[in-house]
Parts: sequence; C-alpha cells; structure tokens
Amino acid sequence: MDSMYYGDTLIVDLDAGTTEEVDFVEADEAGPGLAAGLALYEKYKDADPIIFGSGLFTGTPVPAACLGFVLGKSPVTDELAVAPLNLFAGSEMKLSGFSMVVVKGTSPKPAYLWLHDGVADVHDASAFAGMDTWDTTDAIRREMGESMIQVISIGPAGEAGSKLAAFSINYWGSGDTAAIGALMGSRNLKAVALRGLGMLDADDPAEFYTRSLELFASARKDSGFAALCTALGTGDLDKWLEPIAHRARACFACPSACFPFVKYNEAPTVMESSDVEEPGMLLTSPAAALWLMDGGWEPEAASRALEAMAREGLDMVRGARELAGMPLTDPGEIASAVKALEGSAEAAWPSGEPTPAGLFGAWTPPLADADAWKLANMAGYVLGVCPTYLMLSEVDLEALAGLCQPAAGVEMEIGSLADLFG
Amino acid sequence: MRVKVNPLQCTGCGLCELACGYHWDEAFSLISSSVMLYRAEEKKNYMGVIVKTEEDLFIGRPEGAAAIKLGELSKGGGGGASAKPILIREACDLCESTTGEPQCVAICPHGALYLE
Repeated sequence: MDSMYYGDTLIVDLDAGTTEEVDFVEADEAGPGLAAGLALYEKYKDADPIIFGSGLFTGTPVPAACLGFVLGKSPVTDELAVAPLNLFAGSEMKLSGFSMVVVKGTSPKPAYLWLHDGVADVHDASAFAGMDTWDTTDAIRREMGESMIQVISIGPAGEAGSKLAAFSINYWGSGDTAAIGALMGSRNLKAVALRGLGMLDADDPAEFYTRSLELFASARKDSGFAALCTALGTGDLDKWLEPIAHRARACFACPSACFPFVKYNEAPTVMESSDVEEPGMLLTSPAAALWLMDGGWEPEAASRALEAMAREGLDMVRGARELAGMPLTDPGEIASAVKALEGSAEAAWPSGEPTPAGLFGAWTPPLADADAWKLANMAGYVLGVCPTYLMLSEVDLEALAGLCQPAAGVEMEIGSLADLFG
Repeated sequence: MRVKVNPLQCTGCGLCELACGYHWDEAFSLISSSVMLYRAEEKKNYMGVIVKTEEDLFIGRPEGAAAIKLGELSKGGGGGASAKPILIREACDLCESTTGEPQCVAICPHGALYLE
C-alpha cells in the first residue's frame, strides 16, 4: 500500500497532544479518498473525529489533482459533511506524507497540528488565540521560518463557535459551507499547518504519466474564471471585476485558473513586488461575489467584504448572502457589518432555501443537474480532483477512474462509485 | 535551444515542476525539478518561474524575464526555506532522453514555458 501513500494514516489525540501513525488496512476494502475518510470516521465514531484527507491522485499531474478534504459532523446540520481543501492545501498535505489524518479529542488549550515530511507534532497555539486567519497564517509561517507552508486555520468566528464559521486556506477563505471551522474551534484546533517535500510513487509511473497527459489533451481548453462564469450563467461577474482584476491563479496541477486576484490597495496594473504588503484578495468563491454583485455592491467594496469574511473565518457564501441586500462602501462600515455576521446563524444558501444538508452541501452553485454534480463530487473527493474542473472540462470520468490501476493497483469504475458511499 | 519563461502567462499551478520532477525521478515531487515556481509572496499575488541550466538561471518575474549567470547571482532563488535550493538541483537537459519538446513545455496549459 505504499503507492501514493495510500493507507498511510495519522491518528492525532488532542486530549493528550500525541500523534501515532497507523496503516489503515481497511482502505483496501473501503476505497481511496473520501471513501477511506468515511470508513475512518466509522471506525473512530465514538470520538466524533475531524478527518483531514486526500484523494488517490492528489499531488500528481492528473488534471486538477489538487483536492483534499475535511470531513466532520457539521454544527449546522448535525450530519457528516465534507469541505474542500483546494489551492495548494490538499497537495501539500499529501506530500507531507500522510494520506489521512484523524483528529480526536479536544485540546486543553489552543493548538495547531504541524505536518511536514512524514513528521507530525501538536504545537501550542495559545499565542494565536483570537487572531484572524491572515495573522495566524503569517504567525505560523514566521514561527517555522517558511513562507510556503499551507495553513488551514480558523479565525475569531470559529473560536466563538459561530454557525457561519468556516476554516480558511491561508488568507483566502474556503468552500467550507458546513461550519467545519466551528467544529475545529470546539476542539481548540486553531490550525493545521502543512509542508511536504515527499515523493509520490505510482505502481506504473510511465503508464500513469502518459495517460494523465492524454486526459489533459482531451479536456476542454476554455475552462477558467470566465468559462466558469459563463457556465454558472453569470457572464457579467468577470466583467464586473475587470476594473480591479490583477492575475488569475490556479490551484495545484489545474489547467484552469478559476480564482481572480483583485487589487484595491494599489493599482491592479502593478505587476512587480511593491511596498504594499497586502494589495488585495484572491477571490475563491464566485458564488459569494455573485451574491454581492447582484445586491448592488461595487466590486472594490465587495472584495473588501470578502477579505474581511476570510480574515474572520466566516463562510463567504452565506455571509455574502446576508450582506447582499445592504451594499456598503465605507471600509469601516464593511468591517463592522462583517464582524456582526458572527452572531448570525440563520443564513441559508441559496436565498430562501434551507442550508443544504447531506455530505457535499453546497460548495459552488451547480453547473449541471443535481445528479451530475453529485457524481462529480463523489469522483472528485475519492480521486482528489476538483469537481468544478470535472464539470467544466468534460473530462472522461471513466478514463480518469482508469488511472487508479497504474497509480496504485486499484480497480475502480465510475458506475460503482456510489457503492463506496453506502 | 533553451526553455524560456513568459511569466505573465503563468497561473502558478506547478505542473511544470511536477513534470520535470517526473523526468528526473519517475515519481511525483517538487524537490528535484530543474524548474521552480516562485510563490513565496502569496499575499501580493507575485509569482514567477525559474529554470536552472548548466550556465545560468532563466528567471521569469512578472516585471520581465532574463538569464542570469550562476556566478552573478546574489541569492540562490527563493523557493522557501525548506525548498531544495535550485542551485543544487539538476540542470535542465531539455528532456534529452525523451522525444518531443521538454516535459515542462509540453504540460504547461498556458504557454508560460516555451523553447527557443
């Protein structure tokens, strides 16, 4: 089970502040990625754990193989829910040497988990208590002397147990719509820091690499933020952001670049590294931006609001929905309105609908019918490939699943995916 | 012939590093590549790509791209404190053991790397 670190699992006991590596042999039967995560949750159910995991291909040159996940019981729905680890968080976790991390217990004081190069430690995070996610990310990177550590952290909202809380990946928020951030806060888990310089071996590397390149070649080439907006039926969103748009950024190994960076503290035309340390925001939630655009917000003010939500550790989608009808422009008023969201537990998504229950919840608005979106989520979370990319690129899912054999000697068919989820 | 960088086309996906690492190790990692994605100034959205050759580093920064002789470098390239310094990595061999263009050029989805 050495290929792709398949089965390599870490058990973290926050009560005792200890870690233990185990070989999760049941992964052979359960399946990879989220399927293994669900089996691990079942195995350790008495501890109601939080599970940080990666898919079988996460960290490899399969198109959009950036995806990891956080699985836990949502404080909003009291059901198991999963939230995505995209950008470089999923791949960095995989390359840190652990395929799955099961976090049990509650730390007696704020703590953060540091995973790097096959080593895991629980660190005191008392000094970071009350910090927002930007300061927490900077503080951990400073403490470890490494600017490329990926930090999954919670802000004041998660520490306070707000049902609008979400964890953030570095500075940019996340697709956590299930208040996993509040779940982390309830365990005194301030952050998980990741840095991995490991090496992923495939069973048949040449076959795996060649067939991965064939998937790139077969995928639609017009994915990216503009294509995403078109597919969502929101063609104006990219035009709305254009006056402050800098450069779009992609997640790890993704040929698409869905996330526009916007600059509002310096001219968006500035390309060099200037003295302005915090020039803007990477917009990782088109759905949140859409709520604000439709609510009559100006793009700069909307981006400041989304930055404030990411800093506080708030779910940007539900937060934006709350603020959509009250367009603000003054930065101080925006900050106050966002801070006040921490007390709101009533926000729903989409407007007028109850907060979606079920394992996948709502990460981005559906790009097709509900069944296709669910299938993309199942395939994505098992294999470690972004579901949004799967929808946009029209990658052949059977060909994608066929990579399991050269990757790790695992047979998988898309038609039997649902079986892995019971 | 050498691999050059068109830095403003780069979206920071890191596929070039993975492809080059595969060329050297037949495995997937970010430590042995002759190509390094510079992403240490994340809050500024400042990204670039560095390619190591026997003689120089071709550094593609958003403000421009140029080759700098190894002896003229003041620093070893900013991959982050734990990254294997690019100066002690293998030099680009244009993937001489494979047919076709270098792996990093072939896999880049946006033409940020090219052969000239």
